[in-house]
Amino acid sequence: MLEYIQSGQITLSQDFHTMKATYHDPCNYGRKSEKAFGYGYYEEGRIITKECCADFQDMEPNREFNYCCGAGGGAWALPYNAERIFYGRVKARQIEDTGAELVIAPCHNCRDQLMKSLNKEFDLGIEVKYLWELVADSLVVPGQEVEADKETAE
Amino acid sequence: MMYEFKASDLAEEIGVRRNTIRDWIRTGTIPAKEGPGKRYMMDVAEYIKLCDKFGRVPKVDVNMAIEVEEIKSLAEMENGNHAIDLNNRKTDSLYTDPSWADACLTCGTCASACPIAGVDDLDPRKIVRMAMFGLEDELVDSTWPWKCTMCAKCENACPMNIEIVALMRKLRSKRERDKVPGPIHKGVATCLERGNNLGIPKDDFLFLLEDLAEEMQEEGCPGFTVPVDKKGARLLVTINSKEPFAEPDDMKFWWKIFHTAKEDWTVASENWEGVNWGLFSGDDKSQKIIVGRIVDNIEKLGCEALLLPE
Repeated sequence: MLEYIQSGQITLSQDFHTMKATYHDPCNYGRKSEKAFGYGYYEEGRIITKECCADFQDMEPNREFNYCCGAGGGAWALPYNAERIFYGRVKARQIEDTGAELVIAPCHNCRDQLMKSLNKEFDLGIEVKYLWELVADSLVVPGQEVEADKETAE
Repeated sequence: MMYEFKASDLAEEIGVRRNTIRDWIRTGTIPAKEGPGKRYMMDVAEYIKLCDKFGRVPKVDVNMAIEVEEIKSLAEMENGNHAIDLNNRKTDSLYTDPSWADACLTCGTCASACPIAGVDDLDPRKIVRMAMFGLEDELVDSTWPWKCTMCAKCENACPMNIEIVALMRKLRSKRERDKVPGPIHKGVATCLERGNNLGIPKDDFLFLLEDLAEEMQEEGCPGFTVPVDKKGARLLVTINSKEPFAEPDDMKFWWKIFHTAKEDWTVASENWEGVNWGLFSGDDKSQKIIVGRIVDNIEKLGCEALLLPE
């Protein structure tokens, strides 16, 4: 996706997401990828998010020290719901501390936990988007600018 | 004997919100009843059990509920009566190298890093020590390794590079398959048999893709189609089966990007599943088969790159 942006195959606009945004580091793309494959994907997702969101605030701690959403390792599908929510309290606090209204999750599992569980359980009042959803919603398509503007207005 | 509490107080004690506590009461996760004055009541033993579960110190004397079986063992442990005979334990079943026992410094940094340290009275440090002592049966029976999300925060913090995540996964793998909690083993079995975790039939899948492609055409992507089994496409895209099953519109995000970027991509008509629950259930053999199928698709279609949006 970063290739698309850098090669100019797609153009993104920051006009669609003017609210404060933050980025969730999934354990598997970052910390665990670094351990297993020698490279953690920390910056790629941030560069893309910042292309779409001018007002960006990292969580603390972040990157390799980031906290898990609480639903990894299959926990989203496993029956230990109370423990999963309890786990997520740390993540919820991290998000709250950024003051962000939009949280970008580049992982299916994290997005479901953040959007469908933590948002409700911890009254976060946030919007959660996949990284690719953010990009799809920020695309500038030649000849379609007018239509896109209308969508934001809604 | 009953313990009386306000939802907000218990919420603060455990670290969740008031509405979560109310939810847990409603669904029976916490066995409490509504009492007078916006308060709730639960058996004091249940309250102590709850504190035990989340690693909290109860606000009441543990001995108040000594008649309850679980609490009894807790009280015995506190009195130092609870000893496990370690003499006849095999100590090499979880760690092949006995020097591991010296590698762990028992500093507890791992436990400090873990968001669920204390749940069920366990944490990564205790589990590593139990493994070193050969308490395999106790660990395999424990649900803790399944509540752990294998996030590797513990391992990242460990000054001695103990492979804690690999240990957790090994403990999961040692469970009999019919005792794997939740649907994850069933998903693996369904995937092996039918090509995706949820058993979505090929015809339904292909019909859905066509249907969504038509919607895309109407939504500002003229001429859009989903290229299925396109030989020589640059990019093979796998799909998380929850999307065709429950959230089909979410597939359009990527598609819209491909369309705009003029990507040469394709989806396989079979074995398109991008989720591999073998990773979570600790099932190396199945995990390998499922990965192998994706590799087969790449080779069959001659793709250069793979997108696993997981």
